[in-house]
Amino acid sequence: MLERFQHFFRRNREAADLREEMRLHLELRARQLEDRGIPAKEAHSMAQRQFGNAGRIEDQSRDAWERGSRALGLGSWERLAQDIRLSARSLRKAPGFTAVAVVTLALGLGMNTAVFTVVDAVMLRALPYPQASRLVSMWEQVMGHQPDEMSSHGASYANSGRYTVSLANLPDYCNAKSIRALAVFDMTPKNLTGEGTPERLAGETVSEPFFSVLGVQPLLGRDFLPEDDRFGANPVTIVTYGFWQRHLGADPQALGRTVNLDEVPYRVIGVLPAWFRSPGQLTSTDQIAFYVPVAASSKMLTRRGDHDWNVVGRLRPGVTVAAAQAELAIISAALAKRYPESNQNISAVIAPLRDDLVSEVRESLWVLLGATALIVLITCVNVANLLLVRATARRHETSVRFALGASRLRIARQFLAESLLLALAGCAAGILLGRVLMGVLLVLAPASIPLIGTVSMDWSVFAVAAAVATITGVAFGVAPAWQAVQTKASEALKAASRHTGGRSQVRWRAILTATEVALSLVLLVGAGLLLKSFVLLMGVDLGFQPDRVLAMNINLPKLRYPAAEGRLQFFEQLELRVRALPGVQAAAYANRFPLRGSWGGDVETDLAPQDESDVDLQAVSPGYFETLGIPLMRGRGLTPADRNGAPLVALVNEAFVQRFFPRTDPLGHRIHHGADTPWMTVVGVVNDIRRKGKEAQITAQVYLPAAQTGYPVSLADFAVRSAGDPRQLVKAVQAQVLALDKDQPVTNVRTLEEIVSASAAQRRFQTVLLATFAAVALGLAVIGIFGVLSYLVSQRTGELGIRLALGARPRAILALVLRQAGALIGAGVALGLAAAFALTRYLESLLFGVRPTDWLSYGAAVALLAAVSLLAALLPARRGSRLDPMVALREE
Amino acid sequence: MTRTQRDEIPPGTLDMLILKTLARAGPMHGFQIADSIQKTTEDVLQVEEGSLYPALQRMLIKGWIAGEWGKTDGNRRARYYRLSPDGQQQLERELERYGRVARAIARILQPA
Repeated sequence: MLERFQHFFRRNREAADLREEMRLHLELRARQLEDRGIPAKEAHSMAQRQFGNAGRIEDQSRDAWERGSRALGLGSWERLAQDIRLSARSLRKAPGFTAVAVVTLALGLGMNTAVFTVVDAVMLRALPYPQASRLVSMWEQVMGHQPDEMSSHGASYANSGRYTVSLANLPDYCNAKSIRALAVFDMTPKNLTGEGTPERLAGETVSEPFFSVLGVQPLLGRDFLPEDDRFGANPVTIVTYGFWQRHLGADPQALGRTVNLDEVPYRVIGVLPAWFRSPGQLTSTDQIAFYVPVAASSKMLTRRGDHDWNVVGRLRPGVTVAAAQAELAIISAALAKRYPESNQNISAVIAPLRDDLVSEVRESLWVLLGATALIVLITCVNVANLLLVRATARRHETSVRFALGASRLRIARQFLAESLLLALAGCAAGILLGRVLMGVLLVLAPASIPLIGTVSMDWSVFAVAAAVATITGVAFGVAPAWQAVQTKASEALKAASRHTGGRSQVRWRAILTATEVALSLVLLVGAGLLLKSFVLLMGVDLGFQPDRVLAMNINLPKLRYPAAEGRLQFFEQLELRVRALPGVQAAAYANRFPLRGSWGGDVETDLAPQDESDVDLQAVSPGYFETLGIPLMRGRGLTPADRNGAPLVALVNEAFVQRFFPRTDPLGHRIHHGADTPWMTVVGVVNDIRRKGKEAQITAQVYLPAAQTGYPVSLADFAVRSAGDPRQLVKAVQAQVLALDKDQPVTNVRTLEEIVSASAAQRRFQTVLLATFAAVALGLAVIGIFGVLSYLVSQRTGELGIRLALGARPRAILALVLRQAGALIGAGVALGLAAAFALTRYLESLLFGVRPTDWLSYGAAVALLAAVSLLAALLPARRGSRLDPMVALREE
Repeated sequence: MTRTQRDEIPPGTLDMLILKTLARAGPMHGFQIADSIQKTTEDVLQVEEGSLYPALQRMLIKGWIAGEWGKTDGNRRARYYRLSPDGQQQLERELERYGRVARAIARILQPA
């Protein structure tokens, strides 16, 4: 390649060399003649005569060079440049065509580029850690046991049997030779006090090797040491760059200072670099401020049943995930044998960290990328259609060129060059548009998409855009090039005024248009399925009324509120004060409100005392049901009298009744947490609610009175139902909290409605995008149908004129044209239905309550497409039926 | 002024003549080649001197000869051409072909 270029540039020098040689030749010859006594002037002209025509010789030499270059394949390069120049000129001469084609392409490529940019950042680029490919995520999986109503002591994914890891098991997993190190991490927000207004900061509790596993060194100070992570060690913290800037004045001497977190003085031993993000932050917008060591107690290290920790690990170099997994399976089996009561059926599972992070959005993003690929195809088809029209208009030009001796190859190349040039322009415009669309996408995108904050265009995006543009350029250039090659030179001699393309043209255009209809149908069906899912989901009854409810987090630090009674007292007082505020209809407190986290545990009933079952447990105040609007179905609700000292009571939901008391009246029956815990009497049954949002299953639930404090979780959530806009109460409630405890921050203040809509955000995002893509596709298909029918009508002007002159009624003409359109649309729909059936199963995981073959969505898509396409066909058809026969015939 | 009778060189033999000239006398520039052909043939064969140059270009590209810029006796820049191993082979092929053709023609022209 390089050699060819050198050759190419050497050509000019070669010509200069040749002239110099010839000049020398003439001079030497003339001198020789002069030496023989011929006068200088005559000698010169004699030399010239003997030499011959210098210009012709130069041409011949150049010919020799060209032929030589061609042997090297160079001629095609040069002619390509020529083709491109020619194409640019001819495109400039048709600005309307060029603009439409470039805009169409830019639309397709822009959408594709924008979505690809997101896909690239989220799924393809390496995570922001050194040697990120060796990082794995670990969890504990319940083997072969997939209960459909699963909740756990720690976080678990509903229905998946996936648990976070038990700290007690971790040292055994660390023995795996293929794993260099494992580290645990978990969110631990803490109250920062001692510097003005109290503030609640997000932080993580991590084990000692956390930072070295991720491959990060503190910017200042040191990493955690094993002795920092021991029970009873002096509390130390490593803070983030942001915290250092905001709270420590970016002071390089800040190391060694102490900060009060939940009233405990932590010594700052390190500051992290600004780029560092914890794996948990990659899927959220949380601003983590500090890291503290686990410093696990010996009790924590023996409770193998408590699955509380996220784990990230680093494999040794050259070890595959599968190898490490095999080793972990052996270790898990050994643990299960040694500790059957806690580890039976539990196995440690690892996956590459990136795969685990993006597992929730992967399908959705691939679908969106696939959809934009379809859009690119549609724009290709559309531009190919446009080019065909143009090729027809240039038929005369093409046949003249043939007649003048241009080769088929040359003509085809010329057409392809034009297509490529268009594609290139479309690509450039598409990247620009893509940037804008990317911005829009990022605004719409829910923050829960991992790494969404890192989305940016880089060279790989440009490279892909350029590659796609080149492929599309060739793709839509093939049809017109083929067409042009079929042109016969003799046609130049025929009357060239009728710009018709003949049968082959019609066939090509019909095929292209049917394809376009088919592609649009696929997108419409996909969008229809997602839309229906969305509508169904929105229609799901949560079982409670989230509107006008404001919830907030009030985490009372253990140091100031060591006993459950103290916390209860705080919340009881707060409730009294808040109830008295104007505009408040009800107020309540609990460990967690719905949509804001949960807690679960084992429960036994007096009917089957040996059968422990995992259910959702909530500690709630009497006002909980009123505040959330959960109706009482039977029995009584909780009252302020249900407190310590009074008989222990509980409420259950209907799902609980169905599961545990299917044939008996639950009222009066007793339940408890386990063998040595007191019994509680069921006094009421409340309506089922979907605690975790609309997509969640209904689970068996037990409500315990918060005032009977026999539960191991803290009260931490407070909620208010207001008469008007609940947000107007934020300040007033906050003031009441500060009046009770001036050091107590209020966090995570949100209306339940906001949470409901945020939980639907990802679904709304993908639905809106796919619907937009489908709309664009539909628009492009309409343009295509309109174009091809207009063309057909104009081509048949003469024929239609004769029919009209012979007495055909305009209606018949209309029907004739529409029949043609119908055939086109019908073929497209048939093709599209087949493609949709084949493709929609990839949507399955994104659907909610809809099967991928839902006939209603298919029917609606077909109906919409058919209606809009026929409408597009109607215009040219009417024009055909209203032809003036005289004018039409004269034209012929 | 006296003029000797000059003949055009037979078509297709120019390359052979150039190669042979270079083979016999070593590196030369264009004028020297033309001059040498004329002198060797005692001015019988006349090269249309200009046509020498396209032929040289052709042979350069084919790799039969190599060109190198140097200085003439009069200290002028000139390109000196010399025979390459490929050119040597080509010369042998052409000589053989020429011999074959010449013998064939001679047989036809022989008095019976």
